[in-house]
Amino acid sequence: MALIDHTSAVIYMRDADGRYLLVNREYERLFRLRREDIVGLTDHDLFPGDVADAFRANDLLAFARGFPVQMEEEAPGEDGLRTYVTVKFPLTDAAGTSYAVCGISTDITERKLAEQEVRRLNDELEMRVRERTAELEASTRELDAFAYSVSHDLRAPLRSVAGFSQILLEDHSDALGEQARQYLDRIQANVARMAQMIDDLLHLSRATRVELRREPTDLAGLAREIATELRGRDPDRDAEFDIPDRLVAQGDPHLIRLVLQNLMGNAWKFTAHRGDAVIRLSGHEHDGVDVFSVQDNGAGFDMRYAHKMFQPFQRLHSASEFEGTGIGLAIVHRIVTRHGGQIHARSEPGQGAIFRFSLTPSPAGWVLR
Amino acid sequence: MIEGPILLVEDNPDDVLFTVRAFGKNHMGNEIIVAGDGEQALRLLLPSDGSRPLHPALILLDINLPKVDGLEVLRALRGDERTRALPVVVLTTSNEERDIVDSYRLGANSFVRKPVVFGDFVEAANVLGLYWLLVNEPMPPNRGD
Repeated sequence: MALIDHTSAVIYMRDADGRYLLVNREYERLFRLRREDIVGLTDHDLFPGDVADAFRANDLLAFARGFPVQMEEEAPGEDGLRTYVTVKFPLTDAAGTSYAVCGISTDITERKLAEQEVRRLNDELEMRVRERTAELEASTRELDAFAYSVSHDLRAPLRSVAGFSQILLEDHSDALGEQARQYLDRIQANVARMAQMIDDLLHLSRATRVELRREPTDLAGLAREIATELRGRDPDRDAEFDIPDRLVAQGDPHLIRLVLQNLMGNAWKFTAHRGDAVIRLSGHEHDGVDVFSVQDNGAGFDMRYAHKMFQPFQRLHSASEFEGTGIGLAIVHRIVTRHGGQIHARSEPGQGAIFRFSLTPSPAGWVLR
Repeated sequence: MIEGPILLVEDNPDDVLFTVRAFGKNHMGNEIIVAGDGEQALRLLLPSDGSRPLHPALILLDINLPKVDGLEVLRALRGDERTRALPVVVLTTSNEERDIVDSYRLGANSFVRKPVVFGDFVEAANVLGLYWLLVNEPMPPNRGD
């Protein structure tokens, strides 16, 4: 008896007709009954009908199976129904006949409640995620509408400024004089620049809006295409592209193309003054994260301003040195971030630059350096 | 050179001036008729009062128009036997993918984004005129079925 009394489990034995043969001390405590009063009674004498029916059915199951069976059972407690995990097994005599069933029931009510709470919290979290996603989609749609109206509304007046300054130059050139003509040229140059900026802003917003589709993407193949485009744009330049045969990443091929286009385009631009320009694409693994890099031996930049580089319209070189609107790296940054990756740039003036980026979420605390 | 006017559907007077000037520079002899909104364009092309419909050699169609927008004009033109085969070039400020896709789905023959720089605008007008009025062979008249 000591063995079955010194446990927090409820232990009991009932015969083939469901009559109690034995209960442990925990049973007595729990149901406020003395064991000598219980012996000979059935569950139908002690519990509501449906509870007793369920106990009896489980007893019969254990008899029928002939080996231990486990189930969840519910029994009334002081503060409502309690849930138990119960093991029931038949006891057999020497002839092999089952004459009783023994049950060991452990109260798992708290665990069940905790599980329910976890489920509830999960549902709530999911709902909140859905709400936030809907909000995000709404603001993306707003952004979309904004970009659309920018593309329409800002370009039209620019076209008028450009058009009329050209007409002045063409039809009233003599009346204007040399200085006025120069001013008009400068107006036109700035209009063209602003048009480019509007287009770049639209590219940036598009890079944010388009749906991201991950698939195996060969960066090396894309880089070779881009190298051909760059060479075609400026056939007189003598630059070497060092690109591996294959460099596969999981990512959106259109967006990754934009990343490489911008990084390689920058490398091409900032090596313009070198006769021995080398632009290199490579990939390495760091702490289990695939890291890709685009490196050049061009003008480089001052690391003190590196933190500004990925913000829209930030430029580290004057327009007279190298042209550009300063939006390319903002696009790159956004695409890398949308992939869950990181980007990092390293350089010294005159020593070339290396841009390294990942395209997958990295382990917590991991920072690309 | 294909005879017949060019119908320019455009609400921005500056753009009308630039387009007329650009075609003039390229010595296209075709008259340019301007419709300031989509409703007016449809009245000219698909008149409902029994008057003789305009049969232009080329339609230059802006998308953002008052009253009836360019895409609705396009839908109406493609839905009518008389105008189904007319060459329509969408000439607009936007290069939004949505506008490009909608234009082609509705049966535009071409989609051109108006360049900001005037020299590029003239060049675009030149290429358009050359192709649609000189190179391209249009649908023979009265064979719109």
